[in-house]
This record gives sequence, structure tokens and C-alpha cells, in this order.
Amino acid sequence: MYKCFLFVLLLLSTLQAGAQNCNYTLSGTVKDFHNGENLELAVVYITPLQKSVSTDAEGKFAIKDLCSGTYDLRVSHISCETKTISVTLAVDKNITVRLEHHVEELTDVNVEANLRDNSDETAIVQRVETETIEKFSGATLGDALATIEGVNILKTGNSITKPIIHGLFGSRVAIVNNGLRQQDQEWGVEHAPNIDLNNADNIHVVKGASALRYGGDAIGGTIVINPRRVLSKDTLMGKAILTAQSNGRGGTATASFNNFNKSGWYQQGTFTAKRLGDFESPDYVLSNTGSETYAANFTAGFRKFEYGIEANYSYYRASLGILRSAHIGNSADLVRSINSGEPFVIRDFTYDIEAPKQEVDHHALQLKTFKRFSDLGKLSLDYGFQFNNRLEFDIRRGERSDLPSLDMDLLTHNLAAHLAIDRFDDLSLEIGVDGMYQDNTPDARTGVRRLIPDYNSFRIGSFAAAKWEFSEKWLFEAGLRYDYFDINAQKFYFTSRWEELGYDQQFPQFEVRESTNQIYTEPVFDYDLLAFTIGARYNVDEHQSASINLSTANRAPNPSELFSDGLHHALATIELGRLDLEKEESFKFNSSYKLSYNSFDLGVNPHINLIQNYIQLEPRGVEFTTRGSFPVDEYRQSDAFIAGVDVSASYQFDKIRNSESQQSVTSMEPAALLSSSFSYIYGQDRDLDRPLIDMPPAQFQLQFTLYDAFLNDLDFEVGMNHVWEQKRFPDTDFMTDVIRDDGTIESVEVNVSQPPGAYTLLNAGVSYAFAKARLSLSVQNLLNTSYRNYLNQLRYYADDVGRNVQLQFIYKI
Amino acid sequence: METTSQKFNFKTIANSKTMKTTIKTLSLAAMALFVMTSCDDDDPVEVNEEETITTVELTLTNSTDPTDVVVLSSIDGDGDGPDPASQTISGPLTANASYDGNVRFLNELESPAEDITVEVRAEADEHEIFYATSIAGVTVTKDDLDGNGNLVGLETTVTTGAAGTGTMTVTLRHEPIKPNDGTLSGAGGETDVQVIFTGVTIQ
Repeated sequence: MYKCFLFVLLLLSTLQAGAQNCNYTLSGTVKDFHNGENLELAVVYITPLQKSVSTDAEGKFAIKDLCSGTYDLRVSHISCETKTISVTLAVDKNITVRLEHHVEELTDVNVEANLRDNSDETAIVQRVETETIEKFSGATLGDALATIEGVNILKTGNSITKPIIHGLFGSRVAIVNNGLRQQDQEWGVEHAPNIDLNNADNIHVVKGASALRYGGDAIGGTIVINPRRVLSKDTLMGKAILTAQSNGRGGTATASFNNFNKSGWYQQGTFTAKRLGDFESPDYVLSNTGSETYAANFTAGFRKFEYGIEANYSYYRASLGILRSAHIGNSADLVRSINSGEPFVIRDFTYDIEAPKQEVDHHALQLKTFKRFSDLGKLSLDYGFQFNNRLEFDIRRGERSDLPSLDMDLLTHNLAAHLAIDRFDDLSLEIGVDGMYQDNTPDARTGVRRLIPDYNSFRIGSFAAAKWEFSEKWLFEAGLRYDYFDINAQKFYFTSRWEELGYDQQFPQFEVRESTNQIYTEPVFDYDLLAFTIGARYNVDEHQSASINLSTANRAPNPSELFSDGLHHALATIELGRLDLEKEESFKFNSSYKLSYNSFDLGVNPHINLIQNYIQLEPRGVEFTTRGSFPVDEYRQSDAFIAGVDVSASYQFDKIRNSESQQSVTSMEPAALLSSSFSYIYGQDRDLDRPLIDMPPAQFQLQFTLYDAFLNDLDFEVGMNHVWEQKRFPDTDFMTDVIRDDGTIESVEVNVSQPPGAYTLLNAGVSYAFAKARLSLSVQNLLNTSYRNYLNQLRYYADDVGRNVQLQFIYKI
Repeated sequence: METTSQKFNFKTIANSKTMKTTIKTLSLAAMALFVMTSCDDDDPVEVNEEETITTVELTLTNSTDPTDVVVLSSIDGDGDGPDPASQTISGPLTANASYDGNVRFLNELESPAEDITVEVRAEADEHEIFYATSIAGVTVTKDDLDGNGNLVGLETTVTTGAAGTGTMTVTLRHEPIKPNDGTLSGAGGETDVQVIFTGVTIQ
């Protein structure tokens, strides 16, 4: 509802003297920019004449007895855009003034909500606030996201983290950075998003496939990273965060600035550098787990209410060491590692990063423009270019130690047109069309067969979404999206593999030529992908609301699932894609109940996801090579059922503060906050009637914050995080030959499926705010507990990180 | 099709059949554009795995009778491909004898085959070969040392005892602990080669 009172100022800036005809009438109508609705009760004030008029019910006004001349009309209202127009009077004139009344909302009308309390959405959206992002400045994007219940992280060590939403990750979770869907080879389990968390002002997590604007294939969810919104006033803002941490003996420095001008010009920039040495578990150094990250982001733009243009460039570079002991030769080595209980390489602490390691570079360039049309809405046009290079270094022999084993260039172009129609009072509509072209080129000079082949892919999609505020109590939403996806690959297979997988019978049309022991193929696939979402929200009363959201989405198999073919050193497995995979189809039911009563807040989010043709890696057997034996994992499809519930509850204790100057004035202030969250996920493979692998175990978090303790702005915080043991897991153990020291050969079971036990971690912190700064000291894993995490790929080799003391200094201007 | 005029029409979006045709046409046009602008559409080159060891060859020459040569070889023609390695043992070893052992590692995926033994020898301080056997009375002694004076195991002396049959294993470890206690479990490192020769006979 557009219920905004307008105060229209008519400023007479020039008055021409002399003998003039002074009986002209300037009349006009004041209208709402969006829907053309006439605005009543707008006040027109004429300074030189010290006269004011106000608009009537039709939004009309009239000023009589004006002399001829040019008048600057300045139209403004509280918290709204000021509008200045120039009118030349020589005859009676009738003008129309269109006013924009929601300047507050200068950011895009996105499909996701703009509040942690998703009051204007039916989808389940949660928000990571700036404060949390600042707190995790020295950690990773995944770490910050994991503060939301229902979001977990899949780790490879401590610096490579991937978000999991309601049990799903990788290609099933879309990450949208500043409006552009991140394309950084996200299919790999050990590929972390190449994003500097410090660029974000806030992050929205859409649980489920409802964010159709950014693609219909995010069956897990969408993570929308938003930069600071542009302000239309003269402001220069800056922020610097220095974080030092004991575990890793390093830190992060980040600085950002935002320069906004009333004229419409703005510039924003963020620069981050991070350097950490080896992490340490309570009992030993986690050798070769150091990391080095540099990131820069620069935006320049011009923005008026009606139109705007922006260019953005961001760069991210990271060198990430991978635990030395996790690089193993065969499954007998894995047995050795599991049995020994500690890594076989423990060296002194160092900042050096050696193989095995990853070096990733990500460049993104964006050009965006928009124009608002009166009586219609906002049309945006975005172009994005991304270049991602990933180098993976294994431990190699001879001269090849400095040569990566994997060197992939991924180039992506995106083009999107989007129209948000806001002319209707209770109905907002969105439509869009977008396309993507992608080119992947693995470098052949690595001397290692390509794990992911050369490919070109192409996607074009279109969507429409509507939101209808039916009444104060009811809100409805619906959306539809269609994508056409096409992928053309050029891949060499071992002829023996090609035939063993039966492709010579199934896909003879892809065969191009054969050499001594390899066959060159050109597989081509296309997929039709449909997504649909519908939801409703009901505000029971001022304290309670409930919403349900149903979404169906399709996802095409990713290049890894289709084409993977090679040895994975981190787990000593041979990973095989399947060319005959079909698209995944998800049907998700998401619901939420929210209660906010005085100082008590409760949120409950039960969800069910039925996924047909769920693609997962499944052990298929053991193969023997000269190196020894390896389990072979092959992608397979089955019907999956994932259900769970996220619960959050908090209570704020208030205290009465007596104002010192006026004793009669009292105000309520937060004294303490007790907050907790719980999440549980159940995953079942319905074809094999057994649990799904890698489902996050149940988790409980409790946090207590004491505000203004002893001193004003001195806050204390204690918290705990309990993770239960995952009891539901598929048995994927296998047998392998181990050579005993006495020369005998023993066949032993490789216990890869058993999840690690439950653990509880404590944390504590104190922070003090003064002037424009905040200084905080915090300790994670306070008791230096040894633990292993089921969702850490390196859990077979070493304990997770031990106690970490972090000192952080934030300064804002 | 009046795509532009119908662009904002809900019904068009909902009508996926017409839309699909439109999208396919559009996609082809856009694809053509992209292909024209991208320049690296040459066929990719074939990569031969440079480091895979396909072949392990242990040659045992009787130190008193040079004509008594036994060769144990294991060849995996497709490297990490699905085919298992095939083994050949040229004949039985003589009981109560002493043999000079020599091991070779080859990568036959490359043409000509690459002799990886050269690399192992050059980086002897980062490698060690371990031998183990289930045949009673057989001992394997390593005869060569790396630059730091630690054992390598490319050259060995194999002594046999009474007649018997069993397995003989050859394991190449990369970056093992050096020096070590001589056992596989104590040596650490990662396994580059693990070949179990079965049916080794001493008569």
C-alpha cells in the first residue's frame, strides 16, 4: 500500500521584475511514480509569495496570479527523493509531477526478502547480518553462513568450505554475488567459493529453489550476497577490520570505502589480504594447511531514481594448502591412516604452502544498467563476465613438482534482462530472460589426463514471478521458470574405460577417433529444465505468522557428474562420471512458523524434499593398478527423500535505563540475549532403502550475550555448539589388500563410512566499543577439544583444529 | 513470433511449448555469436599420463650363475583404467642361492616408454623400495644408498633358502620417513607402486 504523505515544495527561484502580465495559473497533478495514482494532501509551498497550496483528493493543485517567467519547482518529502523541475510560464500551464516515495528502497526489488524476519515473502529466507560478516572477516564465507540454522559446511580441511543448505551442496546451491551467479567450478567437493566475504554487507540464504531470478536449478537453495546499498546523499564511509588469530598464527586485514554523492555518482571498494600458516589440532600441527588470500573489489556507478549504470570488477586469489597427509597413494595407505589415528606427516609449524595445494584466481566484471518506467516498473540489464582459473598441485616426481596436475580455465558470460513491475498496489510482478555461455579449457601441459574435459555449455532461461498481497493477513506468491541447457564436450577416454562403461554400445555417435589406448569423443547433451514455485503466508495476528512454500526444480547433471574420470588423491578413489545421467527433479515443501511475543522469538522451519534422479557418488567396486587397489566411485541416480526441521529461539532480557538528565524519562534497553538454534536432517535413498551419504548430523547451538556489563558498550559472550554423531549413514566400506611387515598379505576392511563421534565446542568472547571502533577478543574451541567432523573430507587423516584465540579491531568512519 | 510485443505477457511465458521453440531459436543464434567470438575451438590434444607407472620389472640374476635369470614383471596397459595388471614370472628361483636384484619402473602409456627408474634414482632421497615375501628363508637386502646414506632399494641381494612357493611384493614409497625401521608400516609416505607377485617358486 502506498501510504506516504507527501509534502510538495514549490520553490520560486526566479522572479522577473518589470511590467508583466501577472495573472497566469500554474496547475498540476502530483502522482505516484510507480502506479500513476494521484496523491492527495501534498503541500505546495511558494517561498517568495509565502503561500502554500495542497493537492486535493485527485492530487490536483493550482497556483493563481503568477507572473510570466521561469520557476524552479523543488518537490520533496520526508525520507523521499527530492525532485526539482523547471517550468517556464508564458501562458497558463498544467503540469504533472511524479514523485517517488520509496527512496528507502533503492536496492532492487529482489525475490528474496530484505529482513531476517521474512515478513514479505513466503519463501524461507534468512539473513546474515553485517555484524556477523564482520565477526567472520578472518574466516570463510562458509563459516559465516553456518551461523544460520539449516546451513552446514562441507569442509576439506579448514580453509576450504562449501555451504550446505538443507543437506544439499555444490551445484545444488547457487551463489549469487552482487547479482551475478558465481561460476567458479562449484561442482567439486573441494572447490570453495572464490568469494571474499568482506565484500558483503549482508547475505540472504534462500532455503529451497524459490529464487527463480537466479536460475531454477538451485534445488538446495540460493545464497545472495549483497554489497552495501547505494545512498543518494553526500557521504563517505570507510571501514577497516584487522583480525589476528593464534591458530594459524596469522590474520586478515580488510579495508573498504563507500563514496556516495547526491549527484548520483558513487564509488565503492574493498581490499582484503589474509595470511595464515599451518593450523594446529590440540595434539599436532596440521602440516601444510596454510593459506594466502588476496581480494579486491571496485565499483563505480551513477544512480538516479529513474536510471542508473554501474561497473564492477572483482578479483579473488587464493593459495590453499591441503593437509600433506591427505595425499595418499592407494587404499592400503588409507587403511594405514585410519588405523594410526594421526597424520603420518607432522612437521614444525610453517607459513610455507607446498603441494598438495590449490591456487585459484577469479575475475569478475559486471556492467549493469536500469531504467524505471513510470506506470510500469524497473527494467534492468546486466552483463557479467567471469574468468576462473584453478590449479591443483599434487605431490609429483621428477621435474614436475611445480607443474599443476590440474589446470582449468573456466570462462563465463552472462546476460540478463529483468523487469520488476510495481505499478499495482497489491501485486508485484517480475519477468526476466537470461543467458549464459561457458567455456572450460583444461590445460594439456599438466601431463595428467584431464579430470574434467574441455566443454562449451550454453543456457538460456526465462522466468516470471508474482507476489500478491491479498490482504493484511494473506500474501501469495508464484513463479515459473524454464531453462534450456546444452553442453558440448571434447573428451579422451581410455578405450578400455569407454568399453567397460558400455559407451561403445550406448554412445557410438560420440566417437571421433581412436589412438593407441585412448578414444577421442565429443559428447553432446541438452536438457529442458522447468522450475515452479508457489507459496502463501498468513499473518495470524501481530505476534504470529505462518507460511508454506512448494517448489519444484530441475537440475542438469554438472560436468563432474557427467565426465569425471580419474584418480582422486584426497581419498584415493577413482571417480567416474556417467554420460547417461538424467536431470534431477526436486519437489520441495518448505514451511515456517514464527512467533514474536514481547522479548521472545521463535522460528520453526520444517521441510521435505523429494528428489527424483538424485545424483550421488556410489562405490562400485575395487580396481587394481600397479599402484595398488582403489575403490571406484561412480555417479548413480536414485530417488531421495530429505526432510528436516530448523528451530531457532531467543529471549531478550531488557533493563530499564533512567535518563540522567530527565529522571522522568525511562527507556528499555537490551541487557542480555539468550539465543539458541537446532537443526536436524533425515536423508534416505528410497531405491536402496538406506540412508543418504554426507547428511549433516543434528546440531544445537546456544549463545548468551551480556550487554553493557560493568561498563557501557562492554559486551560478554559465551556459547556452545553441540554436534551429534551421525548414526544414519550408508555402509560403503570395502576390502583391500594390505602387505604386512612379515610379508604376508592381509585382506582388510577399509572403514570409510563410520562417522566420527559427537562433540561439543565452547566459545567465549568480550568486546568493547569506543568512539568509532570496536575491539574484541574471542576464543573458539575454548577447551581445546579434539574432534573430527563428519562433513570434513579430511576426517580420515587428522583431527580438526584446536583452540583459536582471535583479536579483532574494527574501525569505521 | 511477436516476441518483443509479447515479452511482458504472462501467457507467453506460461506457454512453454512456444517458448521452447523460441528459446531454441534464440539460443542457436546466440550460440553462433559466441562461437564466432571465441577463438579456441580446436580439438584438444591427447594427454598421456606422465607419471603413471604401468610396468614393474624385477630382474634377479644368480650371482654365481649369470645364465640363471628370473624376471618378475607386472604390466598395467591402461594405467588407472579398468583393466588389471597382468603378471609374468619367467621361472623358478634356485634354492639356497644368491641373486642380484634390479628393479625397473616404466611408463608405457608414453611412446617411447619412459623409464621412471631414472627419476627415482635422481630423487633417491625421496624414494624407497620395500620388498616383502611370504616364502620362508628368503631375504632381501638393499644394496644402494641415497645421497644422505639411506637405503633406496633399486639394487638388492636376494638370498633363497629351502624350496617353497609364495608371494613377493614390491612397494615403492614416495616421500617416506628416511631412515626408517625398514617396515612398510613404519616408513610412512605414499604408495606409488604396490605389486604383489603371486606364485613365486623356489626349487
